[in-house]
Amino acid sequence: MRHSLNGNVNQGEAALRTRAENVRTQQQDRAGAWSRGFTRRRLLAGAGFAGVAAIGSQLVTTRVSFGDPTQNSGTLVVVFLRGGMDGLSVVVPADDPHLLAARPNIAVRAGSLLPLDRGFGLHPALAPLHKYWGTRQLTAVPALSTPDLSRSHFQAQDCLERGGSSTDAAAGGWLDRVLTELGPGTTFRAIAEGSTLPRSLVGGNGALALRGIESFKLGGWDGVHDKTVQALTTLYTGFDHPLATQAATTLAALDTAETIAATDYKPAVEYPDHGFATSLANIAQLVKSDVGLRVACVDLGGWDMHTGLGKVDGGDMLRMLTALGGSLAAFAADLGDKLDEVTVVTMTEFGRRIEENANSGCDHGHGSVALLLGGKLAGGTVHGNWQGLAPEVRDHGDVPGSNDYRNLLGELVTARLGLSAAALAKIFPGHTVEPIGIAR
Amino acid sequence: MHVATTVNETPLERLKSRPRAAPPPAPNLMNRPAGTRPVDGGAYPDRDASYASGVMSPGQPQSTGATLSGPAAAAARAEVAVPTILATDPALHLLRRTTFGVTQTELAEVRQVGIDRWLQDQLEPAKVADADADHVWSGYRTASMSPVQIRGAIKKYSWDAMFEYGQATLTRQLWSRRQVYEVMVDFWANHLNMTMPSDAAWDVGVSYHNDVIRKHAIGTFTDLLLDAMRHPAMLSYLNNNESKKSAVNENLGRELLELHTVGVRSGYTETDVRNSAYILTGRTIDGETGAFKYDPKRHWTGPVTVLEFSHANASADGGLDVGDAYLRYLAAHPATARSIARKLAVRFVADNPPTALVDRLTEVYLQSGTAIHPVLWALFSSTEFWASVGQKTRRPLENVVATARTLGVRPGADNEATKKGVGSLYWSLDQLGHRPLAWAPPNGYPDVQAAWASAGGMLQQWNRHRGLVQGWWKELTYVKPEQLVQAGTVGEFVDGLCDRLLFQRMLPAHRDALLAFVGEPAGKAFTSSNLKGMAGHLAPLVLDSPYFALR
Repeated sequence: MRHSLNGNVNQGEAALRTRAENVRTQQQDRAGAWSRGFTRRRLLAGAGFAGVAAIGSQLVTTRVSFGDPTQNSGTLVVVFLRGGMDGLSVVVPADDPHLLAARPNIAVRAGSLLPLDRGFGLHPALAPLHKYWGTRQLTAVPALSTPDLSRSHFQAQDCLERGGSSTDAAAGGWLDRVLTELGPGTTFRAIAEGSTLPRSLVGGNGALALRGIESFKLGGWDGVHDKTVQALTTLYTGFDHPLATQAATTLAALDTAETIAATDYKPAVEYPDHGFATSLANIAQLVKSDVGLRVACVDLGGWDMHTGLGKVDGGDMLRMLTALGGSLAAFAADLGDKLDEVTVVTMTEFGRRIEENANSGCDHGHGSVALLLGGKLAGGTVHGNWQGLAPEVRDHGDVPGSNDYRNLLGELVTARLGLSAAALAKIFPGHTVEPIGIAR
Repeated sequence: MHVATTVNETPLERLKSRPRAAPPPAPNLMNRPAGTRPVDGGAYPDRDASYASGVMSPGQPQSTGATLSGPAAAAARAEVAVPTILATDPALHLLRRTTFGVTQTELAEVRQVGIDRWLQDQLEPAKVADADADHVWSGYRTASMSPVQIRGAIKKYSWDAMFEYGQATLTRQLWSRRQVYEVMVDFWANHLNMTMPSDAAWDVGVSYHNDVIRKHAIGTFTDLLLDAMRHPAMLSYLNNNESKKSAVNENLGRELLELHTVGVRSGYTETDVRNSAYILTGRTIDGETGAFKYDPKRHWTGPVTVLEFSHANASADGGLDVGDAYLRYLAAHPATARSIARKLAVRFVADNPPTALVDRLTEVYLQSGTAIHPVLWALFSSTEFWASVGQKTRRPLENVVATARTLGVRPGADNEATKKGVGSLYWSLDQLGHRPLAWAPPNGYPDVQAAWASAGGMLQQWNRHRGLVQGWWKELTYVKPEQLVQAGTVGEFVDGLCDRLLFQRMLPAHRDALLAFVGEPAGKAFTSSNLKGMAGHLAPLVLDSPYFALR
């Protein structure tokens, strides 16, 4: 006999597959009548791209959008801190004498830090998160990079979000490949909080970009709601184009969203008054609604601190970390026991230079820091290689990339989402994932 | 029990217990060679090229094409090879691509004077009278002010002038007769993005857009770049105002190479980035007046090299001229020519534009001394442009503005009313993530479908269609939905709405969907009693359809 938990997972997955097959058949029937004159699907199949019908088969739509409660799925939340967060201000190697020498003005002094281990301390603005260090639900990895990250924001973000520098093997987003490997799921299995789709979710899997269930509703459709949805479904049938997929997922998501919206909902805690916090509150609502959410993306920009990074008691870093820490802490508290079913990882395109500049800031650097919060973590210790900040260790004057991002993310999706080593090889082409030890 | 453990192993345990390959080589802990190139972190020409590569773009742009003697000649020669639901009428294609939305007025104009003449006029916007839009613009008090005037007119650090300018820009997109010019203004405002609003632009942002972007939108790229790199708004947006020889800030020097000119694929190194920043030191802002100032005391002196540009850069006083020479070099660089040619092709032709077309436009750019007009003329004279019907998607802002334009939404009773209505519309665009000029990072709004693939965005666009049909922003002037079309029967009304709003008919099954929505037979008489209320719901559906979603 298999372990009962695994049995449930398999049962749940099997049910999803059956539903997905039904949806696919329905869509094919509908599209079949239309395909005269449209040969693109065949062209796409030949080019290795999923056609519209194939995309649809990955999604279980309409009335079966809610996740199977017997399925222990879990959710990965990827927070992209855009602009290049200065890791040395967040997980601070306070015992390293080179830090103070390089940053006489802006280094956070040991006395004001919250204790971590291995000579690191946490910026005091993240105090609301520190209790999760004690419960082993918080950890961090310093000196993170990939070998080919550049010091350009856009190149580095692009490389990270595609999961490799190769433009052939990693043309889609890394999270889109995660979805491919996960197989069928619900309409809400992958969402991005925002108006545009993050590069990491670009591909054939139809992730939803939206700004919360609250704003995902119809306006001006009074009295004609069902007829309108029906007409829209037909208007986007027979149109072999990515917009048709988008319309199908939009309408399917609408059905689920209306069901959620019809249920009285209030977060368990009050979130800070910040757009990022609102996004996390939206994600928490989806987690608690059991819609089958597996992957959620949210951005927090504002980390490009060439100037005015400031000191521990004032400046842009204090302001941003206050927003980050307060929002994540509210998210964790809101989830309550469900925090164990969620794992949050922060990413940023690069760390900043070790030496401060004359404008109380730091220019673009290399190795960065990831914070991890939630379940499945070997928390309570800082993970990964760390060689300190001595001049001979530095990469071009920067923190070196002693830990590969793909190892962190690979280990995380294995632990959180249950993906196999074979899947990891497809998600991070050309790279063999060596776990860092962050997960349990 | 060892076997049983293996059976129940989680994927993570399997990953951890997997036989390890030889350990990876230790990270290179030595300094990188100074020649490290950003291009090694990924090799797409730019953000939009990366996005477009992640999905199959709609259609396959034809791989070979030609530049003919003029746009009309190319339109006559080109064949639309990729199946599309859009009508292939060249006049419609031209207007979908080169304006913020087709209107009856513009369509009649093109049909009357012909494609070539219409484009010639549009590319010399001063010749196109624009009294109505000028009048609306004049209602925005600060939209034509100098930085000094703005400082006298609003509270210090207030964002009022920047918001007002965003709204004034929206009125030009809605109602200007110089539509090709407005499209190019939008193009350059994104290429040389300086976010409105952003803190440092409260007094100078308006001038940046008027005196740099609008001034040179169909001029030469060299002039555009020279003025942008002397404008206090750009200098502070990318921190160059704080860069000095003792503390060089790389931000503008890097983005100048990566985003504004040669692009990462040109292969410049981190050392080039550093030198680029050296050259720009001294370009700062006068603290008293807020105007541009070159401060020799801040200028880094000594030999500089970026790509093939070299200069002794021996004197602090000569630093501004060195910078201008450097900018001229960059503007005329073949890699810049290619970046801009490609971006124009992405704007006007396809998300993955044909390489042959980009090659030819690059050549025209180089031969024209960076003048934009000849490049646009060559683009519109290409068979690839005319063959690309159906291969672009309207972005959220374009979809909403096109909706207002095709519905004939007009300004309000007076400028105060107009401002109120447009203000509400402007803020409603925030939910779509596409207010004019408001993209925060320096790379500008994306212009490929993959980047805007958003369920929330699509739903909000559908909601805006209802808002503009049903007249939610009361201060503006609307045509009542039941009066959009004169019709005797239900079928005539459905067809008339498509003619009126899409300038084409739908495929039969799609038409049937609209009839099913009305719930009356096509032949049934159209009377006010049975359909007046329905028109306000039917017209939005026509605008929701893919026929309108494409550009």
